[in-house]
Amino acid sequence: MVAAGLKPVADMAPVAIAIDGVTKRFGSLTVLDNVTAEIRDREFVSILGPSGCGKSTLLRILAGLVACEEGGIDIFGGRVKGPRDDVGVVFQTANLLPWLNIEANLRLGLEIRRGKAVARATDIAPMVETLGLTGFEQHFPHQLSGGMRHRVAIGQTLLCDPRVLLMDEPFGALDALTRDRLNMELLRIWQRDAKTVVLITHSIAEAVLLSDRVLVMSERPGRIIRDVTIDLPRPRDPSRTRESAAFGEYVVELSRLMGVG
Amino acid sequence: MTGTIRRAAEVLLFCAALIILWEGGVRLFEVKPYLLPSLSSIAEETWRARAQLWHHSLVTLGEVALGFAFATVLGVALAALIFFVPLARRTLYPFVVALQSIPKIGLAPIIVVWCGYGLASKVTMAFLFAFFPIVITTLGGLASTPAHLEEHFRALGAKAWASFWRLRVPSALPSFVDGAKVAMPLAVIGAIVGEFVGSNDGLGNLILIATGSSQTALSFSALLVVTGLSLALFYLIEALGRLVWWRQG
Repeated sequence: MVAAGLKPVADMAPVAIAIDGVTKRFGSLTVLDNVTAEIRDREFVSILGPSGCGKSTLLRILAGLVACEEGGIDIFGGRVKGPRDDVGVVFQTANLLPWLNIEANLRLGLEIRRGKAVARATDIAPMVETLGLTGFEQHFPHQLSGGMRHRVAIGQTLLCDPRVLLMDEPFGALDALTRDRLNMELLRIWQRDAKTVVLITHSIAEAVLLSDRVLVMSERPGRIIRDVTIDLPRPRDPSRTRESAAFGEYVVELSRLMGVG
Repeated sequence: MTGTIRRAAEVLLFCAALIILWEGGVRLFEVKPYLLPSLSSIAEETWRARAQLWHHSLVTLGEVALGFAFATVLGVALAALIFFVPLARRTLYPFVVALQSIPKIGLAPIIVVWCGYGLASKVTMAFLFAFFPIVITTLGGLASTPAHLEEHFRALGAKAWASFWRLRVPSALPSFVDGAKVAMPLAVIGAIVGEFVGSNDGLGNLILIATGSSQTALSFSALLVVTGLSLALFYLIEALGRLVWWRQG
């Protein structure tokens, strides 16, 4: 039996995000039903659920893009009323402007949040290098592969240096190899910059590989049915971590919870 | 490469055949010049009347340019108003659509009564012809901003002004360029129609005068110049439109 239901180790850290009884309806359709959870500062939490369970809606509520009918979200103690500057969102589609080159796209988030002067003064070279985009700064989005476009989108959000990073299946459309690479880059950046990450995914393996904790959601109306702490050593590595017995046990357990085991 | 040459040769041969057919037919059947002048006599006439044609071209060009400019400025402004102000969308938009249904050619005599025989009536006609496509395509362009990019800008906390200039305007430009390409030849038609109804100069006036005095070759010359003018203006827009290179396609 793995450590399901145990209190997470990161319990000592302050609460970064408190999801407090969030209920969301679209007309007569209840999408989220009394969702409650706490995410600690610097924690990496995945929200795992079948398609249509409302996990993307939950992320939009966390991001302050969508209002909920009941309950609410507190981020670092403040109620979420709209998009916040200390929260960065990476969406399913790589949201790049086709008429801007990669460098301008990378600076766009900074430019909107902190103004042209800050955007111009920021050295983006380290981020370009981390994301393996060196030499592509003057290219345009349509000249890049899907994986590279996703990296640019992630880079744009990371350059704003948000304390909380919300990601909605950012790697869903990518091939397995690119996905592994980006997953590892994400882990490295998360550890280096000490961010709180909430990752929405429907990939059980991805959730186990990356997270401190996995919140499992039910089918619609979405509720959190289980809170599973992933007690695997870090730093993690796609091949080594996946080969470990514990990894397999987590995957089996989560599969069973999602009704696919 | 050989394919390109071949295609060019095909087009040239087709044109040559048309020219021979016209020129030969007119000579063979001895068609009266006031009915259909031969191509060679049209060419001669064009050269002879070049100063006259040039003068009238400039007049028409001025009318078209002004009418098109007004159509662009007012069309974009109206589209923005309709798009951003719900009250304008409910009231102005149906009104504009209804106005569009009036045959503008039928308006020409009234416009001449209102604006006189000079420049103003022709500019107004060119404007009326060009205005509607600009409004509709700009409106479509403004509405076509991808929803996921809008959401992204919202998540970044972009102010309305930033969303407008950084996102909506560039997203709307491709559609606007398409509209401008439709509107430009229409502006030429508008100006010519205006000149037909009442004018002292311009290529439309020249066509009317030349045909009325059985100078059919001159009237063909003027027609040729109008066509050339319209094409040149279209390709000018096309060239400018290339600046909006992110247009799909």
